[in-house]
Amino acid sequence: MAKKRKWWSGLLVLSLVGVLFTGCSTNNTASSPTNAPAATEAPAASAAPDATEAPAADGPVDGGTIVLSTFSDIVNINPLLVNDTASGDVAQFVFAKLYNLDRGGNVTPEDWSLAAELPVISEDGLTYTVKLKDTIKWSDGQPITADDVVYTIETGKNPETGSPLISAYDKVKTVEKVDDHTVKFTLSQIYAPFLYSLVQEIVPAHVLKDVKPTEIQTNAYGTDPAKTVTSGPWKWTAWKQGESHTLDADPNYWGTVKPHIAQIVYKIYADQNTEVQAIMKGDTDHISAIPVTQVEAVKAAGTVDIIQKPGAQYEYINFNFDGKNFPDGYGLFQGQKTRQAIAHAVNRQGMVDNILKGVGALMNAPFLPDTWADPGDAAVNYDYSADKAKALLAEDGWVAGKDGILVKDGHRFSFELQYNAGNSRREQVAAVIQQNLKDVGIEVTPKAIDFAAWIDQNVTPGKYQALLLAWSLNTPDPDAESIFSSKYFPPAGQNSGWYKNEKLDQLWIDGYSTVDQNERKEIYKEVGKEISTDLPYVFLYQYGQAIGTGPRVHWAEEDKPEPSLGYGQFFHAIKWWVTE
Amino acid sequence: MTEYLIRRVLQSVLVIFLITILTFLLIHAAPGGPTQVMLSPGLTPEIFEQQAKNLGLDQPIPVQYVRWIGDLLQGDLGYTFKNHIPISDLLWPRIGNTVILMGAAWLVSLLIAIPWGIYNSTKVYGLSDQTASFISYLGFAMPTFWFGILLQQQLSLKLDWFPLSDMYTRGKEGNIGDLFMHLVLPITVLALGFLASYMKYARASMLEVLDQDYIRTARAKGVKERKVIFRHALRNALIPIITILGLDLPMLVGGAALTENVFNWPGMGRWFVEMAGAREYSALMAVTIVTAVMVVIGNLLADILYVVVDPRVKLGKQGGKAA
Repeated sequence: MAKKRKWWSGLLVLSLVGVLFTGCSTNNTASSPTNAPAATEAPAASAAPDATEAPAADGPVDGGTIVLSTFSDIVNINPLLVNDTASGDVAQFVFAKLYNLDRGGNVTPEDWSLAAELPVISEDGLTYTVKLKDTIKWSDGQPITADDVVYTIETGKNPETGSPLISAYDKVKTVEKVDDHTVKFTLSQIYAPFLYSLVQEIVPAHVLKDVKPTEIQTNAYGTDPAKTVTSGPWKWTAWKQGESHTLDADPNYWGTVKPHIAQIVYKIYADQNTEVQAIMKGDTDHISAIPVTQVEAVKAAGTVDIIQKPGAQYEYINFNFDGKNFPDGYGLFQGQKTRQAIAHAVNRQGMVDNILKGVGALMNAPFLPDTWADPGDAAVNYDYSADKAKALLAEDGWVAGKDGILVKDGHRFSFELQYNAGNSRREQVAAVIQQNLKDVGIEVTPKAIDFAAWIDQNVTPGKYQALLLAWSLNTPDPDAESIFSSKYFPPAGQNSGWYKNEKLDQLWIDGYSTVDQNERKEIYKEVGKEISTDLPYVFLYQYGQAIGTGPRVHWAEEDKPEPSLGYGQFFHAIKWWVTE
Repeated sequence: MTEYLIRRVLQSVLVIFLITILTFLLIHAAPGGPTQVMLSPGLTPEIFEQQAKNLGLDQPIPVQYVRWIGDLLQGDLGYTFKNHIPISDLLWPRIGNTVILMGAAWLVSLLIAIPWGIYNSTKVYGLSDQTASFISYLGFAMPTFWFGILLQQQLSLKLDWFPLSDMYTRGKEGNIGDLFMHLVLPITVLALGFLASYMKYARASMLEVLDQDYIRTARAKGVKERKVIFRHALRNALIPIITILGLDLPMLVGGAALTENVFNWPGMGRWFVEMAGAREYSALMAVTIVTAVMVVIGNLLADILYVVVDPRVKLGKQGGKAA
């Protein structure tokens, strides 16, 4: 999925999926930066069956075709432009990255990474020196060198290109070629999440260097398989628009670990339901996200193995702090106790148990459970209690009106909760919220809106009263300044609820201005405490996608899909094999 | 007739021109317009603007329209905004695929509906007529996507008689037998819908004709029933059916998006929905125009067939119909 752009792209993907189907889609990918390898531990597997395919007794075999399915076609797989799930999916098979993520979310040089070793970070945390392997080659036989890396970063940073990479590299002051296989990045400030910026595909300078930056988008590189020189284990050999992509193992691939699977067919279905039917029939071998509502049916069919555990996504209720969105300019969510009351009133555990069928974990802060930045008990946990909610509301001055709905200063506590139409999970959650809040005297009107219209008219400009939405985290790094800092108000930023908290604004900056993970951990603990007390969001839960795999696909235990990672549904696909 | 045709064609060109303007404006007025949707909201406004500029989307709407219509007049349908693929590369193969599917469904339903409808008109409320009535109600009432999924579940997933979806099995592209197998289920779904209406029209139209004086006269004269039906009644009964067929023609191109979605058929209908979601207005305009042209042709054909089938219909100088 999305590459470097932070959380918004996650939102895009999530919600798009939600728009079209029932569940929410997959992925997130590496991007934004961090310092030391962020030891993001994979969330613990939930109670859901974790039916990992047993390797065939006689071990891996070479050859064969795997058919992957998806429900949307690519836009452009040029790594300078990739900004959507489908393009990211195809790109990650055909392009090698400088670094990859291991199962724990740590940045690491794998056999199939372009870099030979972890970057050398200077004492002051400002320079990152990356050493490339000297065996790496493009699919046309040209060597991959420091020139390609420099070209990619400089073109991505150039505003004229309009590349989404700009947000990953805007803190890079210079990128220089030291020698053919060494590149030095110099940052303009210490920026801990930067390491994740290096989980990045590179484009061939020898193919693109004469293309004007403004013409990169209309250039055939990235949309014409014949003109797209690649660097990964598979080559992009055919694209039938709206139908399929064919990726063939590159016989000249430079890596020491070669792919077992000879051909990948990436098939595009009209929607997720059709995809689910296809995998049950055996027409395809792999589905990245089975809608929550269909997981049981797929399990019952018995032919598809399902891996399901919480991933890098979390759902929340976002309050809007801009009074302009309310009648008479009276912001209903100004009171901290009011927000805390809502957190108490909402039955989050009930949602996890009944709607997510247990595949989810409660959250109290914007950090995924069991990751190094998880503040644990430092964040306030709001247990489900209508009594506590009522007490807090009373303390904040709300009294029951004639119709039972709370009133304060002549204003009824009635608001609209917006979410995107077509997402069945969110519909159910919205209904629970409506009922829960009604129980404490708050009237909620859930409103489902078409995704495109919603983003355009409500989310981007910050015009709503409250949202029900999710973030899909692009990177295991905990930095979330762009969502919660008042530096990022609409329309330029992602703090669409106009939330301002000066203490938090500074804490986010402190959090990325050191590369010492222990120091960062303390800072994020403080963030967790502050944000869970002040509650710009009611953090609901981390949830997951169900990955389904047909009986032809095999992997060793250490190479099985990892739902908690971006592209984790294809984790170590280079080592998978298929049997007939 | 020639003058009439020329006038109709000119009118149609004007209509199509107006449709282009209207569609262009409507699509631009829709929330989450093309730039908003094609460009990820994750980008900063600067990148957003730069991308729009690189693609010419920063130009005023009239300028964009004029540029587009200029290209169109030269036979160039333009490019998709998202990935700069020529629309014509995408459009024509899909039209072909849809025509195969819809054409086959249309033909099958006509071949069943018209003889059956006519037969039923001679045996009103008989077993056959009641069965047909039941099927018609089913056809009208059953949502196509639901019926499609039902067929997939039973005949494909459970019994494995037919392929689940797609146009060909992978590796068998172009194989007619394989195509036939893939056509059976979607045709069944589509034909049920067509069948329902065509059968009703055929039956009603025939009943109306059978009630006419000249039929009674023929019968009174002792003309054999078979001859009454096929020589005297049928020809007149076909006229309203032909009108319906003419009006249905654009549908053959436009496709049935839901059925195409359910069966993953790579046709126009599905593509149109996809492009609408992506606010790819060059593609939407192309589809609109192709469909508008088909509507015009369908209307013209219906009128011409009128003349062919019923010699009583003459086209007057004013373009009206004098019976």
